[in-house]
Amino acid sequence: MALIETIDLQQKYDKQYILKSIDLSINRNEVFALIGPTGAGKTTLIRLLALLELPASGKIYFDRIDVTHSKRLRLEARRRMSLVLQKPVVFNMSVFDNAACGLRWRHENREAIRQQVNSVLELVGMADYKNRNARTLSGGETQRLAIARALAVKPEVLFLDEPTANLDPVSISKIEEILAHIIREQKTTVVMATHDMAQGQRLAGRIAVLMHGEILQIGSPGDIFSLPESRELAEFVGVDNILSGVIVARDDNLVTIDVNGSLIQAISNYGLGEEVHALIRPEDVTLAPHKEASSARNTFEGRIARIFSLGPLSRVEVACGFPLLSVVTKKSAEDLSLTVGKKVYATFKATAIHIIKRWN
Amino acid sequence: MKGKTRFLILVSLVLLSLIASITGCAAQGAEALPPQERLRVATTTSLYDTGLWGYLEPIFEKEYGVEVDILYAGTGIALEYGRRGDVDVITVHSKTSEEQFVAEGYGLERVPFAYNYFLIVGPEADPAGIKGWSPEDAFKKLFDTGSGSFISRGDDSGTHSKEKAIWKQAGLDYEVIREAGQWYIEAGRGMGPTLLMASEKQAYTLTDMGTFLSYKGKTELVPIVDQGSILLNVYSAIVINPEKNPKTNAEMAENLIYFLTSPEIQELIGNYGVKEYGMQLFIPCAGAEPTS
Amino acid sequence: MTELWQGLVKAVELIISLDPEVMVVAGRSLRISATSATIAALICLPLGSFIHCHRFPGKRLLINIVQTLFSIPTVAVGLFVFVLFSRAGPLGGLNLMFTPTVMILGQVILITPVMLGLTISALSGVDKAITDTAIALGASGFQMAVITLKEARYAVVAALIMGFGRAVSEVGLALMVGGNIKGFTRTLTTAISLETSKGDLELSIALGIILISIALIINIALNRIQQR
Repeated sequence: MALIETIDLQQKYDKQYILKSIDLSINRNEVFALIGPTGAGKTTLIRLLALLELPASGKIYFDRIDVTHSKRLRLEARRRMSLVLQKPVVFNMSVFDNAACGLRWRHENREAIRQQVNSVLELVGMADYKNRNARTLSGGETQRLAIARALAVKPEVLFLDEPTANLDPVSISKIEEILAHIIREQKTTVVMATHDMAQGQRLAGRIAVLMHGEILQIGSPGDIFSLPESRELAEFVGVDNILSGVIVARDDNLVTIDVNGSLIQAISNYGLGEEVHALIRPEDVTLAPHKEASSARNTFEGRIARIFSLGPLSRVEVACGFPLLSVVTKKSAEDLSLTVGKKVYATFKATAIHIIKRWN
Repeated sequence: MKGKTRFLILVSLVLLSLIASITGCAAQGAEALPPQERLRVATTTSLYDTGLWGYLEPIFEKEYGVEVDILYAGTGIALEYGRRGDVDVITVHSKTSEEQFVAEGYGLERVPFAYNYFLIVGPEADPAGIKGWSPEDAFKKLFDTGSGSFISRGDDSGTHSKEKAIWKQAGLDYEVIREAGQWYIEAGRGMGPTLLMASEKQAYTLTDMGTFLSYKGKTELVPIVDQGSILLNVYSAIVINPEKNPKTNAEMAENLIYFLTSPEIQELIGNYGVKEYGMQLFIPCAGAEPTS
Repeated sequence: MTELWQGLVKAVELIISLDPEVMVVAGRSLRISATSATIAALICLPLGSFIHCHRFPGKRLLINIVQTLFSIPTVAVGLFVFVLFSRAGPLGGLNLMFTPTVMILGQVILITPVMLGLTISALSGVDKAITDTAIALGASGFQMAVITLKEARYAVVAALIMGFGRAVSEVGLALMVGGNIKGFTRTLTTAISLETSKGDLELSIALGIILISIALIINIALNRIQQR
């Protein structure tokens, strides 16, 4: 059995189901991310896993022990975990005392506490703030203190609920650095909830996508982002090109899909006549002013309908029988003199297309 | 860390002073005496306001080695304390109530030990024009004309009982008097405080001689009516019957009776206040019921 | 105005000369009320924590009743305690009538609703995230109650001050069950009551000023704890 396991876990508030039938396994030493839009139930799920609340139904196992109901077992298990809340609060005492709380409650001896607290404060870069009253800290500093406080008790599992929400980019990268360090050095199992998909990609080994209280897919970041299993998921993870069509020809695992009259070639195991979505990431669509000879199987002529600026990138919408979105660097856009109305050729490889079954 | 130690010191100081004061309570030997070393006396207010009890208390305490607790009551509540056994002995001045109290078995025996006279006092201007009249006639005139305010003790005290007796003797129903008008005021307080109120309101009131004399400088009241056999005021002490209330300190209470009626103390009672006020506040009567 | 001024002068005189009677009475007031406040605190802090942390049927009703009892008249409590502890009453065997002990017990009954209600109120003001954080860090039930009290300490200390204030300033109960016995159960408030009714206003005012000063000093001391 895995370190944490849930079976048919459900939660509701006021007769409304927030979580429906969650089945999860989290292994020791892995970094597990829960991703989903706001309101998906991530916080609720984290709170259940951290044994802060009782589920409406279902079971939770920690280290093979059923900790769903027994107060005593829950307290024992909780002492092997730590949780950093979405908006962490600090106790009205010094930074040092805050970080020492968990250890003091476990009745550790003074010297051990001193060493451990100093060490974790050092880790998060708050050693100089030891004697400051914790209430005077800024947002980023509070978050770091909360992480230090959670780490001080040497938890087997560290839960993080949106650890970098509401922070500025500099603080975000500081914290991600700390988390990366912990993951590398201390081999703590980490379970984090985040709505920042890129963060999940950066830090996690496995991702579970949560939407409307249900888990849509569990897999490696690569799987989730390149091979989303449903349209909804695809939209969420930023696959902007979702083309609907029917498989009209097959040759081994190379299929031809009719999308609104245009033919696309992709790799899939689905059979003739299947209705499918073809998912193409905008980064995989290249643009050229002339038809270029390449190994790519799919090239379409079209006109540029719109261009959006997105920081250092440009999102280019091309109309070529079906709407196609491409993302290129601003420099490339300038080099190619991309303007609205210009004729371009959009190309994408068959291998860049992810085919999923169409349900609607 | 520094702040924390300061906090702890502060808390310890508060706690220490608390403990000190509580144990100090015990250290004050007198206060920690078990109940049997205390004698509880409920006294009518006139014996207290005159200062007689303040005078006699230390003498008795020294002689018998006991702490005396004097409760300033009024005859009414003193009798109630007696019935409940919350006091050991009562000193009051309401003959009929006392006789009933003994008859009902709450008290052992009614022992008169001093007496004086009541009088009606009032403002020098004497708005009702009752100076020198008899008590009954004076009361009747107050009722008929309503030309002067009257402050009643209104607390079932000995003085209040005497007041009611005078109304009755004047042929008036007390309940009617109570509703008679704004001129009749029920104070519900002790004798001294009632005198002050009467002075304040320029009203008449019934008082015992002792309290009136001892409050001489504090009020603007003068004697209005001081002749009449009905005005006799006898103070008695009654030991609370231990059979009805076994927890009372009956033995020491008996000592008090003995004390009050002993020749030396009787002499002291008779001499009390003479130098100060030029006349006796209390006339000793050593256990015998005085006639007028 | 002259009366007040004379009272102030007399107060200073009495304090400076450490007038024994006044000192005894003041000390007794302080002792009795501090003891009742301490006992009430020892009851109300744990009880308040318990009520706050747990859900049970009738909780809201209980809190409502407690709040209603905030301003129960002191003479009502006095009467209740009198009937209870009188030798003729159910607890008469304890022989406590007209002693400082029964005054303390009565005051505990009097101030417990205020202290309890305000403690619960103080705890309710603590962010739920604090309790969540504590649980997540592995605090046991007791440890959590302690940290919550600590976080709420400003309002909790205010509750204690309130309770003490009510105890030290009440007259009705002290008179009824204490008997205002000189040298034994006379407190500042009952002495003021007596001296006023006897017309000795100067002394009353002096005692009043001393009473207020004591309340002020206690207040300041507890305030220090609040600031921390």
